[in-house]
Amino acid sequence: MKRKLPLAICFIMGISMMVQFFIPHPVSLEFSSVIYKWIIVLMAFALVLAIGNLIRHHTTKIRRKSIDWQYSIVTLAGMVAMAIIGLTWGVDPDSLYQTIYLNVMAPLGGTMFALLAYYMASAAYRAFRARSLEATLLLASAFIVMIGFMPFGQYIHPRFPAFAEWVMKVPNMASQRGILLGVAFGSIATALKIILGIERSWLGGKE
Amino acid sequence: MICAFLLLSVLPPTKIAAVDKPNDAGSVIYLNWVLSPDDASIEGYAILRKGPGDTTYARIGSTVHGVTTFEDEGVQDGIEYQYIVAAIKNGGLFYSKPSTTASSYPQIFHSGRINVLVSIFIFTALVAYFVVSARTGRDLFIRKIAGLAAVDEAVGRATEMGRPILYVPGLGDIDWTATIASMNILGEVAKKIALYDSALIVPNRWSVTYIVAKEVVKEAFISEGSPEKFKEDYVRYLTEAQFGFAAAVNGIMMREKPATNFFIGRFWAESLIMAETGAQAGSFQIAGTDSVLQLPFFVTACDYTLMGEELYAASAYLSREPILLGSLKAQDYGKLIVLIILLGFTIISFFGINLLGALRVQ
Amino acid sequence: MKWYDRITSIDRRIIYMLLTVLVILPFFVNVNIPQKIMPQTQRLFDFIESVPPNDKAVMISFDYSPQTMPECHPMAQALLKHCFARGIPVIGLSFDPEAPGLALDALTRVVHEFDSLAAGKDDSLIYGVNYVYLGWKSGRIAAQLDMGESISGVYPRDYFGNLIETLPLMQKVNNYKNIAIVVILASADYPIDWIRYPQTRYGVKVGAGLTAVMAPQYYPFVQTGQVSGLMSGMKGAAEYETLVLEHGYARTLGTAETGMNSQSMIHILIMAFIILGNVGYFFSRRGKRKGTHE
Repeated sequence: MKRKLPLAICFIMGISMMVQFFIPHPVSLEFSSVIYKWIIVLMAFALVLAIGNLIRHHTTKIRRKSIDWQYSIVTLAGMVAMAIIGLTWGVDPDSLYQTIYLNVMAPLGGTMFALLAYYMASAAYRAFRARSLEATLLLASAFIVMIGFMPFGQYIHPRFPAFAEWVMKVPNMASQRGILLGVAFGSIATALKIILGIERSWLGGKE
Repeated sequence: MICAFLLLSVLPPTKIAAVDKPNDAGSVIYLNWVLSPDDASIEGYAILRKGPGDTTYARIGSTVHGVTTFEDEGVQDGIEYQYIVAAIKNGGLFYSKPSTTASSYPQIFHSGRINVLVSIFIFTALVAYFVVSARTGRDLFIRKIAGLAAVDEAVGRATEMGRPILYVPGLGDIDWTATIASMNILGEVAKKIALYDSALIVPNRWSVTYIVAKEVVKEAFISEGSPEKFKEDYVRYLTEAQFGFAAAVNGIMMREKPATNFFIGRFWAESLIMAETGAQAGSFQIAGTDSVLQLPFFVTACDYTLMGEELYAASAYLSREPILLGSLKAQDYGKLIVLIILLGFTIISFFGINLLGALRVQ
Repeated sequence: MKWYDRITSIDRRIIYMLLTVLVILPFFVNVNIPQKIMPQTQRLFDFIESVPPNDKAVMISFDYSPQTMPECHPMAQALLKHCFARGIPVIGLSFDPEAPGLALDALTRVVHEFDSLAAGKDDSLIYGVNYVYLGWKSGRIAAQLDMGESISGVYPRDYFGNLIETLPLMQKVNNYKNIAIVVILASADYPIDWIRYPQTRYGVKVGAGLTAVMAPQYYPFVQTGQVSGLMSGMKGAAEYETLVLEHGYARTLGTAETGMNSQSMIHILIMAFIILGNVGYFFSRRGKRKGTHE
């Protein structure tokens, strides 16, 4: 029953929404509108699940004094503090919540993303070697695109940016389309398998 | 005077056709007409409507010149309406002949989506055929995938070195196809780990994925007859913040020094941060993703990379389950059909015949 | 150690230090290189130019996080300046939970800039009349589809708790029929869902402003017309800022233009290190073949 009920719901709703796609009648549209609203509510509850999980995970770490348990206190304190600040003083543009968000959260997030530049430089230096024909082609196109998309690329040759644009729009797009087509079929097959109950890994393990 | 009148007058549009708008929920009547011969000199067209209880036509809307269509929304279903389209010039209206009457009603079936319905039937039939074929024992060929052939080597390496295996199931939630494919592969990898007696670390970004991953790993250990080897700490929930997750995984790699890293699933910009850290830590790395944009980074930093569909094929390849093999073959044949259609349409287009409309979803 | 081995094994910390210096340098040495406008950015700009004022609204989906703020935030501000200067009403919303703070910041900055130049109340931007921010909503795809029937059905209240029907702008905008285009500013794969679902079902026009890594994925959609225009990374933001300035919709360039100088420096550094690495690799291979490698 624990597995049969979710499978039954998945099958019924999957087939219903597939059928609904082909019926433009107002009754069908009303049905889909109700379902969408239910999905919005369910997804909001998934957040509650995530928050509960976070609290449980970190309180367990604190209780057991696992490795770096002190950081768990910082995580929980930050979460509770922001919730209290937002609920008490609001989330308007000039609120404390917004000030903390823009002056703490935003720079922290930006810092983490900025690390990418260092890793990219290090990876490019370490691994971008022309070991084979394919690797040489990869390197050459990387150079062309990098120079072409830089502002002064146009000063090296007026047609350089157009050539870089061509590399992105023709060979790059062609190969991406091929992969995208395969990925699309994979997605359709997986969706069909989930609706028909053939694919059950989302329930956790096999029967 | 007559000349002045003739100079000022404008010929109205003709052939006003009013029909129920097809494939909709009703309450819309679709109008089209032939442009006035003086279209270039007029300001636009006024649309006038008369219902059953009306004595005169009332203006309901307008268009600019050069436009030959109009949709009258908000009409009542089942009521007959009649329309006139008038050319507008210098504040004056030059009326067309009235259209035939038309009424709107909702459709039960969207005929513009029949191509989608046919495609679904064909693809489902292919999946059913190949799944049944696989179940009857027919051998379905899958070509060798280098990254997957290296899984045994990767797990063995970790056992020899006495270091754990890190399996990152991607940063997508459970509704991503790549995450579902990753869970299937995780199950197979976990079975090998249970056999080889290695340790496993599976960090998760999302709480639902964490729960599913835990069940998958536990199930794998049970199926290999080693439930006691499973540890709660194998599967971890970290954080939903993208780069917070990447930082946490980096920390795991630097502290616990896994012998092998698997990056299987959906990734975004954090992919290079994790892969490069793993490379610097000296781990053997196998990646697999359908995120086309992250493939170059994984190819650069990892020893083996599964690209796009190879990720979906991986679970079928490792488990040899008939259902997975069958759906994989169906995907291949589906692609073949699409390829034939695209090539056929391209060749036909050289003869001036454009059939792209048949592929459009309305 | 031979010279070619040295250049293939430069300490990572030297690379990181050079990178840091070159990122900071353009902030002290003023270099202004004119931007060549890419066709996809021009297309988005031209589309917004073609939207009549005080008619349909432009919907902006703010879906980027603080990590990608340097790329997407200037896009948001340039786009807002363009819309407001042309008298096009703007409806903002978000499906990324980290985005509302940044959306508010972009709106506040641009509105403040406009209001500081306004001659009177008629020239200022009024919340609820010229722009509305609906806030974050869960169930992304379901919400996008449901807005095709009724936006107020999905967002009964805006971000600030006001009832939707009390806002004059939202009395005129019911669903996608009253939206000229939806522009998604994102650091993740959100635009594809807008193309797959609302555009397929309701025909709504879609534009995008994406990080440089994500943008190439949408070139096929720009080519087919499914995406009406695209800003690609910080360069796209700088280009849009330039277009907005050239057409008199802004008085100064934004932050993207400055950031492009740093980005260009880093590109040169990375290319230099790739060349160094490959030179060392080739000579090292040659040395091995000759048997002179230590």
